[in-house]
Amino acid sequence: MTVRTIEVRERIMARNDELAAEVRRRLDAAGVTAFNMVSSPGSGKTLLLERTLEALGEELDIAVVTGDVQTQNDADRLARRTSRLVQAVVTGGACHLDASQVMAALDAIDLAQTRLFFVENVGNLVCPASWDLGELAKIVVFSVTEGEDKPLKYPKMFRMAKYAVLNKIDLLPHLDFDLEQAMSYALQVNPGLHFFLTSARTGQGLDDWFHFLRQQVRAAVPA
Amino acid sequence: MHEMSIALEVARLVEEQMSSHPGRLLRVGIEIGDDAGVEPDNLAFCLEAVLAYPPFSGATPVLARVAGDVLRLDFLEVDDDRPDD
Repeated sequence: MTVRTIEVRERIMARNDELAAEVRRRLDAAGVTAFNMVSSPGSGKTLLLERTLEALGEELDIAVVTGDVQTQNDADRLARRTSRLVQAVVTGGACHLDASQVMAALDAIDLAQTRLFFVENVGNLVCPASWDLGELAKIVVFSVTEGEDKPLKYPKMFRMAKYAVLNKIDLLPHLDFDLEQAMSYALQVNPGLHFFLTSARTGQGLDDWFHFLRQQVRAAVPA
Repeated sequence: MHEMSIALEVARLVEEQMSSHPGRLLRVGIEIGDDAGVEPDNLAFCLEAVLAYPPFSGATPVLARVAGDVLRLDFLEVDDDRPDD
C-alpha cells in the first residue's frame, strides 16, 4: 500500500463562478442590466415583479427567469403581465439557482431585444447567497411581516446584496415591526446597503423603485 | 440545503483529479471558511453519502475550518499501490 497525498487547492465554486462570468460577459455585451432577486419565501418578490412588468415591461424590454423548487406558478403569474416568454426553472428540490441554469435560460432570451433582466431566485435566505449567477447585483426583498433581525440571522445574504427592498409596508400600522431597527440591523451587516420601502400591493414606494430601474438601464451601455 | 450541491461538485472535482492520479481514494480534504455559508456537519453528511458509491467507495471526508469565506478542495489521499518514487 502506497498512500500519496495530492494537493489540489481548488475552489469548489470555481466552475459556477466561471459560468457566471460567462453569463456576465454575454449580458454586458448586449447592454443588459441583470438583477438577482433573493428573499425568504413569501416576501412578495413575484408581486413586485408583476407590478414592475406592468409598469416598465415594454419600456425597459424586461425579461424574467423564475426559479422554484416545484411548480411554475410564479412564471405563470408573471407571464400574464408581459407579452414576452417568462422562463421557469423548476429545481426539483434544489434550494437555489446556479449559473448553468441561468446560462441555459439565456439561450431562449432575445438579448438584443432585452435591456433589463430579472432572475427571481428560489425563496431562501441561505443558499442563493453563495451562487453568483452573473448578475449586476443581488436585491434582497425583506418584508415587514418577517422579524427585524432577519439581517442578523442571515448575514451572508444581506452582505452579498447591494440593495434591499423592504416590502409590504402598507401592513406596518398592523404590526409591531420596527422599521428603523430592521434597517439598522441590515446596515450593521452591510453598511453600503441601499433601501427601497415599498408595498407591491398598494403601489406605495414603487415610483422610487421604478426610477432606480430606469436609471440602471440608462447607465448600461453595450460593451 | 446547498451542501448537497457542493458535495456533488466536490465529487466532480475529485473524479477529475482521479483521472490523472488513479488509485483507491482514501481521504478527501476540504477547507471551509467560517464565512463560507456552509454548515460543516451538513456538508460532511452529504459528502459521506456521495463518497459511499463508486468510484469513491470508502473514502472519508476530512473537513477543516479556516478563517474567511474559503471553500476549497484541499487534498486527496490516494493508495495507488505503486512503489515510492
